[in-house]
Amino acid sequence: MDARLRRVNKEIADCKNDKTSHISIDLVDNSPFHLRGSFDGPEGTPYEGGRFEVDIVIPESYPFQPVKMRFLTRVYHPNVSSASGAICLDILKDAWSPVLTLKSTLISLQSLLCSPEPRDPQDAEVAKHYMTSKESFEETARYWTQIYAGGPGKDGKGVVQKGGAKDEIAMAGLNKAHVDQFEALGFDRSKVIDVLRRMNYRGANIANINDDRVVEELLK
Amino acid sequence: MSSDYEFSDNDDFEYNDDEDMLDDDEGSASDMEMDNINDDFKIDKGPKIKVYEVEHDSLPQDAVVYLMRQDIEHISGIFGVDSEVASLLLRHMNWNKERLIEKYMDNVNAVSVAAGIAPPERSPEPSSSHGGPRRSSRLGFTKSSKSKSAEPSPPASEPFVCPICFDDTQQKTLSLTCGHLYCTACWSTYVSSKVRTEGESWITCMAENCTLVAPDSFVRTALADDTQTWARFQELLVRHFVSCMPSLKYCPYPSCTNTVSCPGAASKSALTSIVPTVHCGASDTHVFCFGCAIDTDHRPVICAVAKMWLQKCRDDSETANWIKSNTKECSKCQSTIEKNGGCNHMTCKKCKYEFCWVCMGPWSEHGTAWYSCNRYDEKASVDARDAQSRSRASLERYLQYYNRWANHEQSARLSAELYAKTEQKMEEMQLASALSWIEVQFMRKAVDESVRCRGTLKWTYSMAYYLEKGNEKELFEDNQRDLERAVEELSELIESPIDPEVIMSLRQKVTDKTVYVQKRNEIMLEDTARGFLDGRWKWNVDVEGFEKD
Repeated sequence: MDARLRRVNKEIADCKNDKTSHISIDLVDNSPFHLRGSFDGPEGTPYEGGRFEVDIVIPESYPFQPVKMRFLTRVYHPNVSSASGAICLDILKDAWSPVLTLKSTLISLQSLLCSPEPRDPQDAEVAKHYMTSKESFEETARYWTQIYAGGPGKDGKGVVQKGGAKDEIAMAGLNKAHVDQFEALGFDRSKVIDVLRRMNYRGANIANINDDRVVEELLK
Repeated sequence: MSSDYEFSDNDDFEYNDDEDMLDDDEGSASDMEMDNINDDFKIDKGPKIKVYEVEHDSLPQDAVVYLMRQDIEHISGIFGVDSEVASLLLRHMNWNKERLIEKYMDNVNAVSVAAGIAPPERSPEPSSSHGGPRRSSRLGFTKSSKSKSAEPSPPASEPFVCPICFDDTQQKTLSLTCGHLYCTACWSTYVSSKVRTEGESWITCMAENCTLVAPDSFVRTALADDTQTWARFQELLVRHFVSCMPSLKYCPYPSCTNTVSCPGAASKSALTSIVPTVHCGASDTHVFCFGCAIDTDHRPVICAVAKMWLQKCRDDSETANWIKSNTKECSKCQSTIEKNGGCNHMTCKKCKYEFCWVCMGPWSEHGTAWYSCNRYDEKASVDARDAQSRSRASLERYLQYYNRWANHEQSARLSAELYAKTEQKMEEMQLASALSWIEVQFMRKAVDESVRCRGTLKWTYSMAYYLEKGNEKELFEDNQRDLERAVEELSELIESPIDPEVIMSLRQKVTDKTVYVQKRNEIMLEDTARGFLDGRWKWNVDVEGFEKD
């Protein structure tokens, strides 16, 4: 039997047998080389309570070349692209070793959620947010977990339905008062959110940003 | 590949040879020219090199391997270590012996760990519970085959399962000194994936976080019969070595495995006075510049200037220059206007302002002198026009050089076509006259020479563009003009129709002209090269490596 197929089959079976890690790997279609993995958001982080899905593609030369992984669930994290789910993690690139498995790689993703590395970001805007105000960043990450990963709401109150009404301001990690302030000048609300998010209009950074500059950006 | 390369009887491979042949040669160069004139086409290939050439050697892969081995033995002797250990140490330190010795003396352990020879202090437990680590004082690897020996293998009751492919039928296993045991098949796939897909010769152990590196003999064993991948691995080692040595360059032509050694062009400062055009021993067509990757042969102009010129040609700023030179702004609404015909009475499309194209003043003031402007000398309009003409002059200057440069570039691109046409002509000649195949080769020589000279000419225009005005530049341009004219005349002769009656005189004319062109090219190259050595050339811009005035 093909070594790659044997290995992948065994990895899937091992994962099924392991009831303690709460990590699952499922087939997407009939091919064992395109999978979907999922794991729980780690405790004590803004991702707690969420369930995160990962798209897994096994390359031809697996396990000698790294597996390709990408978040399907949207995640607010400096090392994960908030748009595409692309992941910046060394073991998915040069630090890959053939002894790593799908399960151990998913566990590594789980621990990536615990320890963001904002100095080597995948998503620069999220990383800036993290560096400016960790508190505000965590609030936004928690909100994303609630909206996209089925996590609990603030203080554990209720769960927002997936696809339910989303608070665009909270999604962008901004303060409602700030958005209102610029909206009052006659700008479109979504445009204001977009500009403030790009300019990282949060926490201590606000002092560095002149109102005129915001207006200038809004007029572009 | 020549395997009978001899190393013992000469020291030609001494790559850090400091001898500067360029200076030794100056006196005799002119004597050689005199000889050349009588000597039909032959370019003297004697031991002396011309002032526009650089001394270089072509080394086949074996010769570079020999150089590597010398370094390895040197280090292995000093440190008293195995040659494979020495090799990994050198590779880790990018073949910088001095730095290696310094660092190694400073902290043997740290260097050994970084070079992938020894595991870090708190060595991680091998992931496999089978076959514990077997450490040895010298670098090596463990190879076990259960069928042959029971010693390093796990108990028979528990068959070895490779932690990578999960195959329990594999009997043969391998590990580095760290003891991470995997089946031979997995090692083989892993090594060849590293070598072939990633082009990587620094192959670490497959275990997670294990930094041990596979020595050559291990790679050899893992690849077993795959000689192609093994050869590729060796080539990667050589390429790495060559890239670490400033005096060596790998031949850039596809699938060529030769290395060129050119100590004269090893330093950056040397590149301000020489143009190191070299070729490897595989073929005369494997010509490249040792200093840059811009063009295979950009003589006579040095790398920095050639690079600046190409950058300028590529720059979009010339578009802006064109707009500046060919348009004017409406003096009322500032719209940009190009005059594409008609009289000087302009009406701005946008603001309907009427003005005179010549003096830029309002049309209404022209009074009765309708279509001729006699207010040309008034101050306001003079100033506006001056600024415009300055930028137009600079653009025209650039275009003058660029057009000539591009013209020769175009000719070079068409050279394949020209060769085909000439081939045909040579056949016709043989039919039309009593000339033999060997006797019509003069045509091919003529084409060879014209192509070569066009290459030189092309780059002289980039040089002339940046040369500061003065006597030196005039002399340069005189040489350029003479060469240009000679090449054009030769090209005309090559293209002339074949008439059986005059074929013999045509042959004579072409041969004479070829020799003349060749000589003009020599003069051009030689004078320019000597100018660089004498520091004669002054630039109208800042050139990297030259002092600012």
